Amino acid sequence: MNDLTKCFLKESNFATRSILGETILVPIKGGVGDLNSIYVLNELGTHIWEMMDGKSSLNRIIEEICSAYDVGPEQAEKDTLEFVNSLEVSGMIRSIPRTV
Amino acid sequence: MKAYSYSDFSLGLHRKMLDQRFPVQGTIEVTYRCPMKCVHCYNNLPIGDQQAQREELTFEEHCRIVDEIAKAGCLWLLYTGGEIFVRKDFLEVYTYAKKKGFLITLFTNGIFISPEVADYLKEWPPFSIEITLYGYTQETYESITGLPGSYERCLRGIRLLKERGLPLKLKTVVLSLNHHEIWKIKEFAEEQLGLDFRLDAMVNPRLNGAKSPLEVRLRPEEIVELDRLDPKRMSEWRRFSKKFAGPVHSSGLGETLYQCGGGNHTFSIRPDGGLTVCALSSAESFNLRKSSFQQGWEEFLLKIREKKVTKRTRCISCEIKAICGMCPANGMLENKDPEGPIDFLCRVAHLRAKALDLSIKPHGTCDYCKG
Repeated sequence: MNDLTKCFLKESNFATRSILGETILVPIKGGVGDLNSIYVLNELGTHIWEMMDGKSSLNRIIEEICSAYDVGPEQAEKDTLEFVNSLEVSGMIRSIPRTV
Repeated sequence: MKAYSYSDFSLGLHRKMLDQRFPVQGTIEVTYRCPMKCVHCYNNLPIGDQQAQREELTFEEHCRIVDEIAKAGCLWLLYTGGEIFVRKDFLEVYTYAKKKGFLITLFTNGIFISPEVADYLKEWPPFSIEITLYGYTQETYESITGLPGSYERCLRGIRLLKERGLPLKLKTVVLSLNHHEIWKIKEFAEEQLGLDFRLDAMVNPRLNGAKSPLEVRLRPEEIVELDRLDPKRMSEWRRFSKKFAGPVHSSGLGETLYQCGGGNHTFSIRPDGGLTVCALSSAESFNLRKSSFQQGWEEFLLKIREKKVTKRTRCISCEIKAICGMCPANGMLENKDPEGPIDFLCRVAHLRAKALDLSIKPHGTCDYCKG
């Protein structure tokens, strides 16, 4: 089970672009992601991506998603964890040690 | 999170843009200077041209402009010249843009690609890098470039980039000087090197109006013969003509003069920071040194984009415009008239239509329909 007190930080090897209302993650260094693929985030994904600031814990992000999208805590936790896992697997974020 | 393949993503974005004016694609010419003296080139200046060098944007100005075009939504960015690597700080300019998340294409002659440059590009890969191979033999190649040793240096650059698995493509411009080697160049690129290859036979006068490049331009018959001998090109022209042929796509009197993406989805920036509708259309520009890209896009380029057709030329009712290279930029360069038909291009388009078995409806007094 995920530790919901963990925080995450964006890796610097991806640039975030906002084009015609779409948030796009573009790999910028060799050996990272697939340069032939472009990662496109939906609105929820964009919201979570913006909170990958090294300070917001998963608990905090789930709370924020509950309040912003009017969803229950279970659904918000499921959606958030699924998305955060996919970001971590793709090498776009890394967890950082808890400060408290 | 969705990971789209590049083609799906690109298609989706272009569909989204259909009905809106949006600067998604830009060209930046970082310098006009080049050590090669290619006979057909429309913009090259000597590598030691100090005035040209003084006029070039500084690194800081490049960064500021790149910030502005990123903010405006530009995604695809082409760096070209002149020769981009003539600028000692080119890799710094490039890396700054890379970090902003542009999908960057580089046009280069390849002669400055050293192991160190190739390693750097491997670390910071461009979306695409294109090298022009002017000849299959050294003699032919250097008869065009005028630079002894450039053939071997170009081949070395190609080898270094290919060894590192970079997204390299080769291309050539077909001239009277290398016409006899074209199919050997194509075979070398595609079969021996396994690289994508394309050719183009269109040559323009120089930006300063000099017609010298036209001396090495192929005859219209030779250009269309290149199409005929390449089934892939023929099928592309056929597909293109079916999709776009007809008066609905022709500019009528009072309609918009520019029918391309220039000023609508694309833009170009000269070495001195002049914003233009395209690299060939240099007559009118907006100074990005003094004003913002946003202002240039929203006011200056919009005004150009809204220009209307004012003359009743034979282009107006011509139904084979889709297979013709005529555009306002070409018109200005060749005839100093953005609307006046270019005889050479009329001849090419009519021969091409004949090769494609397209019927041509009468469109005013046209000398080329008779033949």
